[in-house]
Amino acid sequence: MKKTLREMRPVYVVGIGLHRYQRLSETPYVTLGLTAVREALADAGIEWRAVDSAYTGTALIGMAASRPMLRHLGASGIPMAQVENASASGSTAFRHACLDVASGMSDVSIAIGVDKPGPVGSGPAKSNLRDLVGSRAVPFTHFALLTNQYMNRYGVKIEQIAAVAVKNNRNGANNPYAQRQKAVTLDEVMAGPAISGSLTRLQCCPVGEGAAAVIVASGDAIAELGIDRSRAIRVIASVTRTERVYRGAKNFDAELTRETVAQAYREAGITAADLDVVEVHDAFTIEELLYAEMLGLCGEGEGAAMVASGATDIGGTCALSASGGLLAMGHPIGPTGAGQIAEITRQLRGEAGVRQQPNARTGLAHMVGVGAVCVVHVLQKET
Amino acid sequence: MEQKIAAQPELYSASADGLPALNGGRCRACGYVFFPPQRYGCEVCGALPSELEAISLKGSGVLNSFATVYHHQGKGIEAPFTIGLIVLDDGPAVRSTLTARTDEGLQVGDRMHAVLVPAGRSADGKEIVELRFAKEAAGQ
Repeated sequence: MKKTLREMRPVYVVGIGLHRYQRLSETPYVTLGLTAVREALADAGIEWRAVDSAYTGTALIGMAASRPMLRHLGASGIPMAQVENASASGSTAFRHACLDVASGMSDVSIAIGVDKPGPVGSGPAKSNLRDLVGSRAVPFTHFALLTNQYMNRYGVKIEQIAAVAVKNNRNGANNPYAQRQKAVTLDEVMAGPAISGSLTRLQCCPVGEGAAAVIVASGDAIAELGIDRSRAIRVIASVTRTERVYRGAKNFDAELTRETVAQAYREAGITAADLDVVEVHDAFTIEELLYAEMLGLCGEGEGAAMVASGATDIGGTCALSASGGLLAMGHPIGPTGAGQIAEITRQLRGEAGVRQQPNARTGLAHMVGVGAVCVVHVLQKET
Repeated sequence: MEQKIAAQPELYSASADGLPALNGGRCRACGYVFFPPQRYGCEVCGALPSELEAISLKGSGVLNSFATVYHHQGKGIEAPFTIGLIVLDDGPAVRSTLTARTDEGLQVGDRMHAVLVPAGRSADGKEIVELRFAKEAAGQ
């Protein structure tokens, strides 16, 4: 019989670490990754040799990224593998670390996300199926079309959508790991340059380099290794789905998110009203509104009004993209999903400083990736 | 009439008369109609390639959304140009370059039809044509 994560033995996040997301530099990926891993080990208060397995979420580095990086922690011989799942690579690496611990095959597992921008091949490009627009329609244009569709369907103005970037950059300004750490005004967001449709530069996420690491452990390991149980955050759902066939002009990422979130809520035994902190794949302003609606934080077409009301600010009903999200924290691909888990964990521990959402108990992390894939995790502080 | 060559012959036919047609596909097992054409297997029911037949899709539909691209880094791609998402009367939604360079005068819900526009000449001097979508004039 199939089991959900919650029906297996409990899994806890016990350590988080990051290397700041930043523009492409000469820093080797090894340095980026080791910085995040060492910070996560220190955060958990454990040694590398306590880690039983490692999954590296990376999409752009190329073959065999794990051991050339992790051997510098002391080659302990543990199983390691790369996990590539487009933008959801880090989220998927985290899922596999969770499954390792939940199944009992590992007591402690680590998920690492690390990437540097660079040329890479892809399945869609190699499937030999052409379309009419080819390289004329890059992702900017895909999301500009969705923006146009949304504005027309709900009578929303672009300024209301662009307000997402103002909120997320305000949060990112207080996140030392964010690529963009500067608050911006709506005028600055709207000032351009215009790239595609109504999308200006600040309505699109920066894609740079960086790393994130998350250590998960079983209850047994927490006791045996002397980890501080009061800072351990339980993972109560791990759900991933892929796109089905949605007819006509339906947005596949939104439909896929709707299905994945519904399953995650069911498995976690929660509803949207339980969420205190949420990180979504806000690579473009329009995406935050679409996914907030699919999450049920508001009704369809009500996302812009919800953002304007302050309900998704830190201190509001549910803090959305408290890290700055992809729009401000950045989207280095491999690290992004693992970095979301780090933010949710920090929030649920009550250690997010000026970004802290008061009394945060339940959080959700959501990523989509080309394919399309969707990965959702629900984390909860045990009382 | 001069013989014309489609820039993407696998996607549309360059017949000189009438509306250009798109080369779609249909699953004989479940009836799913799709574009672009493929011979790998049905995305809805998993039927084998032998169940997939080539069909012609009418080059007409409704504009669902549009976006003018102001900056593009691609070689030989000159901005601005406008991309539209069109839901074909035959079912599938397709993204296409529009004949209009900017979005001026375009509205969601506009009736659109496919046209073939000149896109250079082949090595042996034949005219190459590319499929785009244009807004239908009122009463057309």
